[in-house]
Amino acid sequence: MSTNRRRMRVASVVAGIGIVAVLAAGCARGGGSPNDTDDGGAAEASPGITDDSITLGITTPLSGPTAGPGTCTVAGITAYFGAKNAEGGVEFGDGNTRTVEIEALDDEYDPQKAKANYDQLKSSVFAMTAGLGTPTNRAWLDAAIADEVPQVLIMTGDPIFSNQEESPWQLGFVPIYQNEGEAFGELLAGSAEDHKVAILSQNDDYGEGYVEGFKTAIEGADNIEVVKELTYEATDTSVDAQLTELAGSGADVFFNAMSITPLVISSLQKSQELGWLPSWFLPSNTSSPTAILEPGGAAAFPGVYTVAFAQSAAAPTFAESEDGAAFLEGLKEYANYPDVPAFPHCVWSYQIGATLEEVFGSMTEPTRENFMEALRDVSGFTAPLMLEGSTVDTTQDGQPAVSTVQVQKYNGKGYAPAESWDE
Amino acid sequence: MGTFIQLVIDGLSTGSIYAALALAIVLVNQATGLINFAQGGMAVLSAYVAWALNGLGIPLLLAILAAVVISFFLGAVIERYLIRRFERGDPDTAVVVTIGLLTLITGFCAWIWTYNNRLFPSLFPLETIQIAGAVISVRSLGTFIVIVACMLLLQALFLGTKLGLALRAVAINPASAAFSGVNVGRNLMIGWGLAAVLGAVAGVLVAPQLTLTPGMMDSALVYALAACILGGLSSPIGVVVAAWLIGVLENLAAVYVPFIGHDLKIAVPFILIFVVLFLRPQGLFGRKAVVRV
Repeated sequence: MSTNRRRMRVASVVAGIGIVAVLAAGCARGGGSPNDTDDGGAAEASPGITDDSITLGITTPLSGPTAGPGTCTVAGITAYFGAKNAEGGVEFGDGNTRTVEIEALDDEYDPQKAKANYDQLKSSVFAMTAGLGTPTNRAWLDAAIADEVPQVLIMTGDPIFSNQEESPWQLGFVPIYQNEGEAFGELLAGSAEDHKVAILSQNDDYGEGYVEGFKTAIEGADNIEVVKELTYEATDTSVDAQLTELAGSGADVFFNAMSITPLVISSLQKSQELGWLPSWFLPSNTSSPTAILEPGGAAAFPGVYTVAFAQSAAAPTFAESEDGAAFLEGLKEYANYPDVPAFPHCVWSYQIGATLEEVFGSMTEPTRENFMEALRDVSGFTAPLMLEGSTVDTTQDGQPAVSTVQVQKYNGKGYAPAESWDE
Repeated sequence: MGTFIQLVIDGLSTGSIYAALALAIVLVNQATGLINFAQGGMAVLSAYVAWALNGLGIPLLLAILAAVVISFFLGAVIERYLIRRFERGDPDTAVVVTIGLLTLITGFCAWIWTYNNRLFPSLFPLETIQIAGAVISVRSLGTFIVIVACMLLLQALFLGTKLGLALRAVAINPASAAFSGVNVGRNLMIGWGLAAVLGAVAGVLVAPQLTLTPGMMDSALVYALAACILGGLSSPIGVVVAAWLIGVLENLAAVYVPFIGHDLKIAVPFILIFVVLFLRPQGLFGRKAVVRV
């Protein structure tokens, strides 16, 4: 009778899968150490560029839980350059006009896959850009330095990418996590009242960066006390237990450094179910009014804060502005993205396109070295769809291309600037 | 105390989702002797069908019922034209085939509906009831009740109907069942169809909470498999109890066992499996296969 043997077989397969799941949950990747490079640039053209075209590579999550924002990272830049290509191309500083091609590969937010994608692209693209994710971008940081391939204007808030000594061939685009956490912390510390803070953060550099920035800002503020601090794994499908525990702390402010969309929605809902109604802080990439706050019923809370540097495509007046209309048109026309994007990454990616065009305009040689020089020399550039007060500045070592953020408060529909906590 | 009750209730609610999927796996296993790793993927596909129908303006409950019916036929068709070739063969081959099917269905969903998170309306309101210092959401409670109902129906089907008897006969000994006039092929198709229906129920219950994505059920499947092994593959009641146990213990361990915390809680069900199988190789409620010589 083979049922017993079969059952044992099945049991061993299931056990195997279980072990894999546990290992996957427990494996966090650390960063690598930087290599030295010699920037001896010969003027012969680098890979991925000819007299009439340039190819950019992207590795980003196009499937899996972060696919929503990931798809946006490709759509925005594709829309921007699609429109430029239709006009004949982009003018480079060396006098040539080139069309810009995008090669995007799916890494499923998996560091191994991201590295494999990079290996596949590195000799056919001129530069890698716009890809989303800290662990995924870190996975090929050292390789990009060794190969002298630009890994620039990427969507990660990890400060390592904006430190020139550690990352000579890298530059982040979006504000670093610390910038965001700090901006919120400063607003809170400026409050006239006492506050108890509960913290939930993703158990990796992303979560740690936010918490670090926040704590830096509230250091020495007598009116702020952190009463409970918990973490969760990026692979978790529920954080109900954490919220139950945090709700018991009686905090009136909830600093939630969370990057997984469905988890943020369910946190908002769970918190209401528990009858715990603090003021919230949410990161810029998981605070979309239409994709997250509305389904989560965020209007129930006294305040939901986030930070931003770009206009929200979901805002009522967005489509009426010239830049907004051009952006939505480009998404539809060139990026196969007919909806109004629910994630800010589409706008960011579009701004990356504009920033790259700015850089291309001051490149005098078709080489990666020359590109990096031009890249580190942009300041005071206002990309389309930027908020008042934010600009692109790549000249500050230790800071990403965009480092100035505005704290905003949810008003039931979209966000409005928050000048102070007690307003 | 409120926190404790709260954690138990939440555990039961997440455990219910694992339970629905585990029930489907048990059903297929009882009918065909296979473990269907694609059960989660099929559940996601069913949820997408319900979502798409709802998007066409069909009321939610009707859309779900239609998806359930469609799922039944889809399950039967998959069994008849794909799985039939691998039944009673090498179980390792069948495992790989169903894993392949999972990948295929996930890719198919992504191809049609993209990987964007789709908001799935909930059958239950977002309201809550207060019981003994704990807050119970109507959704958790509803999920729980639906799964209990499914479990009782299934148990009744297996033990109290001719169809259930035929299904069990086919599972235990297809050759003898065929000699006694049981239509083996049709019963296999019905088994797969019913499993797909259960998956559809699990899919529409979990989608409002996780938002609908092609990979929505991936981790639920791992837990459901754990529940199957823990409860015993031959016992519908057993796997449901095991699934609840997993959901509850995971929550409690995270909060009350300091060194586990929220980061290692995924390991809890698997540690539990090792311990249980050490003591009872057939699972908590499983029957030992006895061979007379």
